[in-house]
Amino acid sequence: MQSLSIISVNIWQILISFANLAILTWIIRKFLFKPVKKVLDSRRESIDSAYARADEAEKEAEENRRNYAAAMAAAKQTADQMISEAARDAERRGGEIENEARERAQEIRRQAEEDALLEKKKAEEDMKREIADVSALLTGKLLEREVTPEDHRGLIDSFLQELDG
Amino acid sequence: MTEEKRGRDARFRRVDGLLIALMILPLAACIALKVLFTPASEGVDISGAMIYATIPFPLQELVITESQINSWAIILTLLGLCLYLTHGLTEKAETKRQLIAEWIVEKCEGLVNANMGERYAGYEYLIAAIMGLSAFSSLSCLIGLFAPTGDVNVTAGWAILVFCLVTWTKMQGGFLNYLKGFTEPIPIFTPMNFISEFSLPVSMAFRHYGNVMSGAVISALIGTALRSLSKMVLGWIPVIGTIPLLQIGLPAILSIYFDVFSGLMQAFIFAMLTMLNVSGAFPQEAWEKRQRKKAIRKQRAALAKA
Repeated sequence: MQSLSIISVNIWQILISFANLAILTWIIRKFLFKPVKKVLDSRRESIDSAYARADEAEKEAEENRRNYAAAMAAAKQTADQMISEAARDAERRGGEIENEARERAQEIRRQAEEDALLEKKKAEEDMKREIADVSALLTGKLLEREVTPEDHRGLIDSFLQELDG
Repeated sequence: MTEEKRGRDARFRRVDGLLIALMILPLAACIALKVLFTPASEGVDISGAMIYATIPFPLQELVITESQINSWAIILTLLGLCLYLTHGLTEKAETKRQLIAEWIVEKCEGLVNANMGERYAGYEYLIAAIMGLSAFSSLSCLIGLFAPTGDVNVTAGWAILVFCLVTWTKMQGGFLNYLKGFTEPIPIFTPMNFISEFSLPVSMAFRHYGNVMSGAVISALIGTALRSLSKMVLGWIPVIGTIPLLQIGLPAILSIYFDVFSGLMQAFIFAMLTMLNVSGAFPQEAWEKRQRKKAIRKQRAALAKA
């Protein structure tokens, strides 16, 4: 089997080598770079979308937090308002009850005073009549005679005046 | 579910096996071819690639030699390697081979970007192909094959491809501009400019070829010398004398330098020169100027239409 001499130029061989490199370039592009780049691109895309999703979630959480804080503040305000209202109501009711009680007590007292006055008058009347009766009896007995009612009246009055005086 | 998954795994492994076979079989076939055709010989044998077939062609005979066959085998191996590395790519990069594939792609992209700029991003395929083909060609002598890069025709083909690209890039500024470039700085320089222009592919081809071939020649010379020395020094011992013991050691160390280091170095240098020559063919400022001019022309055309 013969060999080429150590330097021999053959244009067909050169052409074959030229084509070989061109073909290998195409092979490398088609079978190595294209698939790898596709995967790299899709990875970059998915990372980007994951970041976007994370940002969105963060924003949403922040918004939720703000909403929650606002709702809490509103609830607190409502509760405060309710409590103060209730307190005011209770105060008002307490005052009313007190006033009522006082009024009632005053009425009871007035009634009692009136009753007592009435009783006193009645007792006075009773006493007057009894005294008049007793004195009439006594005077009748003392004078041994019938005293006319006019006399009688005059006597009693003078007696009572004496008593009063 | 698991049955289906197992079936898928088995299919995946079968495809893997086929791809690995595609990587190994061409090289094995080349070795077998070489073993079948190599004549038994003693003594120094320094010659080019073996000729397997000669086909009559116009202009010059087409000879199919070891370097062509080995180149094709290496291209098939690289195709198998590409398919193997990109087999089962996922977004999450679960396999080691995907990491290797991504590393290769990103390194090539980075190299082309750093040396040529964004404008020449399309050259990364060519650069990857040059590096792969050159490195694997040079390293193929490690498994006993004739390194295709040791054949001047092979490197000349690559250099001419690079030259075509350089010329095409230069013509981006217009054909007349390209011709005018030869008369600069003064018209008397034209012949020298022509020589320097056409010395580029020649120098690239011979640099690569010479480095690989000289390494092979030196390795062959030293191997032969050590065999002779072994015969002279140890030849008188009955059985051991027939074994060239002195050949152990030194050729391996030389092989690390000439075959591995020099081969990879030359692949890198060839790729570097390609990048520098192509990107230097049409400088950035000239390109930007041309882009501006183009934009103005387009604007004018739009105005004329309106």
